[in-house]
Amino acid sequence: MSPSVPYFFKHAVLATALLAAGQVFAADSVGIVVYNAQHETLTKAWVAGFTEETGIPVTIRNGDDTEMGNQLVQEGAASPADVFLTENSPAMVLVDNAKLFAPVAPATLEQVGSAYRPAHGQWVGIAARSTVFVYNPAKLPEKDLPKSLMDLASPAWKGRWAASPAGADFQAIVAAVLEQKGEAATLEWLKGMKTNFTAYRGNSSVLKAVNAGQVDSGVIYHYYAFVDQSKTGENSKNTALHYFKHQDPGAFVSISGGGVLKSSKHQEEAQKFLQYITGKEGQDVLRTGNSFEYAVGKDAASNPKLVPLKDLDAPKVDASKLDSKKAVELMTQAGLL
Amino acid sequence: MNALDIINLSKSFGAQTALDTINLSVPTGSRTVIVGPSGSGKTTLLRMIAGFEFPDAGSLTLNGQTLVDSSHAVPAYQRQIGYVPQDGALFPHMSVADNIGFGLAVTGSARTERIQSLMDSVALNANMAGRWPHELSGGQQQRVALARALAQQPRLMLLDEPFSALDTGLRADMRKMVARLLESAGVTTILVTHDQSEALSFADQLAVMREGRLVQSGHPMDLYRYPDDEQTARFLGEAVVMPARIEAGWAHCDLGRVAVNTNGFAGPAHIMLRPEQLLLSDHPENPQGCNAVVTERDFGGNTCTLTVELLAGAGESSGRSLLVRSSGMHAPPAGSAVQLSILGAAHVFEVS
Amino acid sequence: MPETLPAGIAAASPAKLPRRTRALNGRGSPWVVVLAIGVSLLSLLPIAFVIGVSWYTGWATIEAMIFRPRVAELLINTLLLVLITLPICIVLGVTLAWLTERTDLPGRRMWSVLAVAPLAVPAFVHSYAWVSLVPSINGLPAGVLVSVIAYFPFLYLPIAATLRRLDPAIEDVAESLGLKPWAVFFRVVLPQLRLAICGGALLVGLHLLAEYGLYAMIRFDTFTTAIFDQFKSTFNGPAANMLASVLALCCLAMLTAESSARGHARYARVGSGSAREQRTVRLTSGIATLGLCLQILTCLLALGVPMLTLGRWLIAGGADVWQGEELLPALLQTLSFGVAGALLTSLAAIPIAWLSIRAPGKLQRLLEGCNYITSSLPGIVVALALVTVTIHFARPIYQTTLTVLLAYLLMFLPRALVSLRAGFAQAPVELENIAQSLGRSPLRALWLITLRLAAPGAAAGAALVFLAITNELTATLLLAPNGTRTLATGFWAMTSEIDYAAAAPYALLMVVLSLPLTAILYQQSRRSAGR
Repeated sequence: MSPSVPYFFKHAVLATALLAAGQVFAADSVGIVVYNAQHETLTKAWVAGFTEETGIPVTIRNGDDTEMGNQLVQEGAASPADVFLTENSPAMVLVDNAKLFAPVAPATLEQVGSAYRPAHGQWVGIAARSTVFVYNPAKLPEKDLPKSLMDLASPAWKGRWAASPAGADFQAIVAAVLEQKGEAATLEWLKGMKTNFTAYRGNSSVLKAVNAGQVDSGVIYHYYAFVDQSKTGENSKNTALHYFKHQDPGAFVSISGGGVLKSSKHQEEAQKFLQYITGKEGQDVLRTGNSFEYAVGKDAASNPKLVPLKDLDAPKVDASKLDSKKAVELMTQAGLL
Repeated sequence: MNALDIINLSKSFGAQTALDTINLSVPTGSRTVIVGPSGSGKTTLLRMIAGFEFPDAGSLTLNGQTLVDSSHAVPAYQRQIGYVPQDGALFPHMSVADNIGFGLAVTGSARTERIQSLMDSVALNANMAGRWPHELSGGQQQRVALARALAQQPRLMLLDEPFSALDTGLRADMRKMVARLLESAGVTTILVTHDQSEALSFADQLAVMREGRLVQSGHPMDLYRYPDDEQTARFLGEAVVMPARIEAGWAHCDLGRVAVNTNGFAGPAHIMLRPEQLLLSDHPENPQGCNAVVTERDFGGNTCTLTVELLAGAGESSGRSLLVRSSGMHAPPAGSAVQLSILGAAHVFEVS
Repeated sequence: MPETLPAGIAAASPAKLPRRTRALNGRGSPWVVVLAIGVSLLSLLPIAFVIGVSWYTGWATIEAMIFRPRVAELLINTLLLVLITLPICIVLGVTLAWLTERTDLPGRRMWSVLAVAPLAVPAFVHSYAWVSLVPSINGLPAGVLVSVIAYFPFLYLPIAATLRRLDPAIEDVAESLGLKPWAVFFRVVLPQLRLAICGGALLVGLHLLAEYGLYAMIRFDTFTTAIFDQFKSTFNGPAANMLASVLALCCLAMLTAESSARGHARYARVGSGSAREQRTVRLTSGIATLGLCLQILTCLLALGVPMLTLGRWLIAGGADVWQGEELLPALLQTLSFGVAGALLTSLAAIPIAWLSIRAPGKLQRLLEGCNYITSSLPGIVVALALVTVTIHFARPIYQTTLTVLLAYLLMFLPRALVSLRAGFAQAPVELENIAQSLGRSPLRALWLITLRLAAPGAAAGAALVFLAITNELTATLLLAPNGTRTLATGFWAMTSEIDYAAAAPYALLMVVLSLPLTAILYQQSRRSAGR
């Protein structure tokens, strides 16, 4: 073979290497990186306001709660993330247990009601959502509504309800059940669920299916129906919401969390971001915007269309004790995952 | 008795006439070769006999059974006519034994024996039985194809250029082997080819086709010596054709006075001689011959082809060049003066 | 879109090159050999990951993660999907191919184009079309329906190409040996289609195992969707990794099944010379009507439904959906991933392609085997392997474009390889020698002759890779760098929020970008038939 061929390859390889090197260095850019498991639209609204106010650019990586929680744990000290936002608490607990969070600035903690943040202050609540039983009144009369979430594992409910077990939302609910009822009862309940329920991918799909009469009812969070109503309502017009209340596991209110990574090289900007979203402007987005999640700021009001948080009679669950790892393990054991 | 009778067979593909009123009879047990340049319609005729194509008009009869006429047609799979295409067309997904046994009705050990004897008859080693078609040489593939066609004891065997894909040396051997085999099996055979030497050597009966017409048929020797026209003459071999004036059994032409085979015809015509009829000597003073000069010598080993220019007399060139064969041993070099003499009679073409 | 083309590799295997070529070029190419080995070792990474992670996990966990009812459930789902979908695809592929290639069906040329056209619609867009048309569609029947629609062209293409180039003399002989026409088809034609059917079925089967978006949308759980769910819950937890191992085993089992089913079948006709025109079967009007009905029904299901749904959502969305500030960046991101990925993959393919033409032998076959196996692995396994390996051992390239491109390289290398090899085969070394004897330096000779002749092949390969990347969803979802979104992942984000109208422009752009791929595949199949 002619000597010119290696020469050609050398050039080709060099060009590829340069391309790659460019990519590697491009990853280390200015501004902060937010690992976002919250609804994309909500975080985008926060980021837009924040960048406008501070001029700090924000890069968003979207994912799910426990996916990103586990990812952060694996990335450890070298994580590119500066801030972590979730929909539910368990993933925050996961990252916190790995000692990856920097303490949240006291000023930020001050802004949030003490019920919506762990006492140690490693992370902070940024919004809240309530478990709800959505049903199709045409198929399920009001008098037949379940008294408790735990009832749904009984044979009477076979084939009559839906959920999205692969989602972090439902896994948070399971974590709450686990916290309240213990491991054995939870596994028993999950096994009953496996026989009874129909799996959908995403709470929106559950709502849509209930609306279309494909299934009688479903366990989701409250805001999906409100979001849909605020748009065309075509996926929720045939549905009604039932809140379990009475401190039932099904009345669980899940806290969406936010935290600053200890490994962040942009501590100041990251803390600023957390301060912004829990502050007046940030919480106002929850009241005026299209997210319909509950505000958790001390003086912040939620969207007036929602049932007030204090009326929901949620169980007292310590958010920092929610064990998502165990919850997923139990769900895997029950054959749900 | 005739095995196959082809009567007024015609076929067109769109505006193009593929076969134009073909008539031919094939005697039982004979080997008939249909020869013609590509596009002459010979393959269409063969495929029609096999039953892969159907005529627009005319009929075919095999051993008294009408294969096709204007009212009905026997499909190919009921004709019991063997067919060996150009490169054998072995079933690529079957072993040699399965290929040969494809048309056999018997099963079990009788089948194995029959396959064995068929392989034997085409001189294939018994250990080839388990081989796959792509593991065989071209000649072996043809043998398998032949054995496969013989297996069903065909009433007629059709060979479509079966030797053209083989090497030159192998071709002649295969031809002889096939001829012997078919003769001993008593199978009436039609072979189609564009190779005139193959046609002449294989045939009992030769049929020449051109542009969809059957222009001449008969014994190969007769066709070679006495072709109906110049085109046929040249198709079957090299020919020396020149104008002449015919008078009382002699032709007068640039070669001088040449005997011809027509009685009674007189007047201008073209005569034809095969190069091997021209004898060359280096005794220029023989009064019988015609003087010429060698202009080119093409040495080809056992034979040598010479181009000679005829002299009109007194050393003056007549402007006519001929090809003459000579033994390679004594071929005169270019520039030699030679004398030509004629062996046998020249053939006269009918004046049209 | 096709993620692997193993049938192509098998078909184009250059094992029969003259020995002389080897002697001329086998010597003195250590650079090429080293590069080729490097690329192949890289391609073994996902396999190494599967083995390594199983080793690391330990038997107790493996047992707990694999031998549980959920895995059995997924295995049954996946098996049923494969066992029901493949026969339907094969029968449909053979029937349509026979109708368009061997009969006088009215408009057969048009039908043959339309039978390939569904490939322009990414599988998950087919699913999207069906789910928004019939919202209640779900489970195994839906999985089979949409899979058949999305993947039958992978069988149609090779079967039609093979039917076209079968030696008609073989069928003539079979008939002359006393076989009726239908018996000729079943005893002689069908067996000769075996290689095409095996190759196409393997391709479809691997897609069935690898596809995520299609089944996620219609709520049918397969291994791939389950791995994805586990990933969403645990990142690369042991359950995800173990499911990935089982899935990888399934793929290898499928490769083995295909190669043993292929048997002695051969692609090419035996012998030389030119094949004569195929005979055309005249259909009776009854059969012709049935045939037309089948063609129309297939077209309606495979093209009509996506067009109808897309059109409906595009009209419903109006101009607004086009003005989202994310559509253009997603398009640009997709194009730049595509260009960079195609470039990288083609470059990586050069050493192996070069070896396979200029120095074929045991080493080269081994190297190609490595790539062949990796290309059969689903995107989710490749992505999971890359996430795990980069996070632990190659942190500088973790979450970078390079890792995404690496995944594309591993998944799509055979596409570039097949085309590039065909390109190099166009340039025998003798031509280069002649150029040198005419006074050109070795480098100039290489540039003027070999690279110039190989360029069309390389370009076709690069185009195939480019277009595969534009529709890649699974690996991109896992590996995309922070803040980047492609058309496919953008489409996926929209549909996950049930915002079907906003997803429509993404789908349309993907279809538009895929049309050239479909045209190339169609052209290639016609050309390989030699007509």
